[in-house]
Order: sequence, then C-alpha cells, then structure tokens
Amino acid sequence: MEYNNIRALLEKYWACETTEAEEAELRVFYAAHEEPLPADLQEAAPLFRYFHAEGEGAFEKKEFNMPELFTDRRAPWETAKETKIIRPFWQGWMKYAAVLLAAAGMVYSVNQYQLKLHGQSEETTAFRDTYEDPKLAYEQTQRALQILSRNLNKGKSQMEKLGYFNEAQEIIQGNHN
Amino acid sequence: MSSEVFISLIMPFREKLYRFALRLLGNEEDAKDIIQDAFVKVWNNKDKMGELQNLEAWCMRITRNLALDKLKSRKYRVTDDLERAGEVPATHHSPHQSTEKSDLMRRVHGAIHRLPEKYRTILQLRDIDGLSYQEIGEVLEIELSEVKVNLHRARKQVREQLQNLHVYGIQ
Repeated sequence: MEYNNIRALLEKYWACETTEAEEAELRVFYAAHEEPLPADLQEAAPLFRYFHAEGEGAFEKKEFNMPELFTDRRAPWETAKETKIIRPFWQGWMKYAAVLLAAAGMVYSVNQYQLKLHGQSEETTAFRDTYEDPKLAYEQTQRALQILSRNLNKGKSQMEKLGYFNEAQEIIQGNHN
Repeated sequence: MSSEVFISLIMPFREKLYRFALRLLGNEEDAKDIIQDAFVKVWNNKDKMGELQNLEAWCMRITRNLALDKLKSRKYRVTDDLERAGEVPATHHSPHQSTEKSDLMRRVHGAIHRLPEKYRTILQLRDIDGLSYQEIGEVLEIELSEVKVNLHRARKQVREQLQNLHVYGIQ
C-alpha cells in the first residue's frame, strides 16, 4: 500500500507535479528504506538518498561543517568580561619617573624663587648702615675719601702733562693763523 | 538597522547560502569568499530589506550572481564541460567522507553535475534546498513557467542517466 503511494508520488515527481511536502516525503521514504525495494522504485532510490544526504541529512548528521567565519558565536572580544590587568608598579616606571621629575622641577623652581627673594633682601641691606658708632663711621668715611682724593691727585698730576701738549698745539695753531 | 537585527535576519540562511555557493563553485575557499562578499552586499543594501518579500531568495540571488561572476572571471565553467564534469564530484568533501560515500551516490552526484548549470541549479534548489517554484524564480530571476520547464528537463535528464545506470550498470 505504501509502495503504491510512493509509486504515485514518483509519477507526479517526474512530471513536476509534486508539492514540496510530497517531495520531502519521497526523500524521507528512500532515506529510511535501506532494504531492497521493488525494481520500479529502485530506480529513483539513489537520487532521493542523495538529495536527502545533501539536504536535510547533512543537517541531521552534522556532516556539514560551517566555516568558523559564519558562525553566530560571539567573538572573544565581545564576550570577554572586563578584565583588569594588574602589573607590578615598576613596570610603569616611566610615569613614576616623570612624576618625580616634575616634582623635583617644582621644588627646584620654588627654591630658586625663594633664593631670589632672599638675595634681593641682602642687596637692600647693603644700603644700610654698617657701623653702629657714628664717629667710627665718620673716620672710616674720611679715610675712604682721603684715599679717593689721593688717587685723584695722582691722576691730576698726569693730566697736567697732557696740558703741555695742549698748550703746544694752541701755539702752533696760533702761528699758523 | 543595527548589526544585531541584521545578524538575526541573515544568519539563519548562512548555511543554506554557503552550501549553495559551494555547489556552484565546488570549492570551499571560493564559497567562503563569495558568502563574505554576499553578506557585505546585503549589508550595503540593508535599506532595501524592508521592501523585500522574500529575504532568503534575495540573499540567494546575490550569492548566485557573485558566484557566477567568479566562475566567469576564473573561466572554469565546470558544468559546461562534459569531459571535466567527472572530476567535479566530491571536491568539497574530505577524503574520509568521499570514501564513505557510496559509489552509487557519487555517480548520482556526477549525473547532476553533468547537467547544464541552469538545470542543475534549479534541481538543487528544489530537491536539496526545498525551495518553492516561486522562490526559485526569484533567486534565478526567471519566470515561474521557465522554472517548471527547466526543472522538468533537468529531472528528465537525470532520470535517463539513472536508467542507464540501472540497465548497463555503468555510466
């Protein structure tokens, strides 16, 4: 009875009158019946077994290996949890060195600034009185001025020699005129 | 359209598309390339997806066109060359699978691959992928009547070869 149904379906199949469901039925029938079939049904057996093996059968048996590229499995970077990488502190030594260098630079500049301020105050002290006793200060000043005067007189005596040349030049110029 | 929506719509077809490309090209690497190109093309035309009635047929059409372009560019139209057709079977199977496959099945495979490309594709789309006539028409961009005529001819040719196989035991 079953074979008659299959025979009818086969006739329809060769005439292209079968529906998709009927064709699927044929494929399943031949795939399930490995034992020898009547001669008239045997003709189409390899064809439908082939169709089944290539189509539904490949899915069922997992014979078909889909390339990894087209799987819908998530890529590792999409599924990976937020992992925190802990490295020993010395591995990032450059940043610590940079911080230290910046800190040293700041300390140095502050220090320099303070020194500068301090230096200015020292300069101002130069104008202050260096002597407590006015008399002593007077004597010291007098001495300094005497040294200045003495040296000035030395220069003046030298300048007098220059005066002779000047007079001589004037005399020559006067004769000339 | 987000990539997640796209993936959810297209990914279900990926195996069918890959198998389709593999059958057309007979080479895994080429099939992978074609599928990748097809997905890129589908993604670039994702705005059209809303207007489409049959997304699967559209994807298959893109895959087929790309595969045929590749065949043309490489000039290895294996199906049109009867002498070389015998070499084609089982190129996408591992040696282990090939040895397991019965001799009879290999002969059927060869018989189908000896068909002209148009007939073979229609037969495979119908009998292996289980597409309706309408869907085949959309994939191949041909009329429904042409699908039926070509399928009828394809089945007739395969049947004749199978009959020879049974009568003479050789092919």
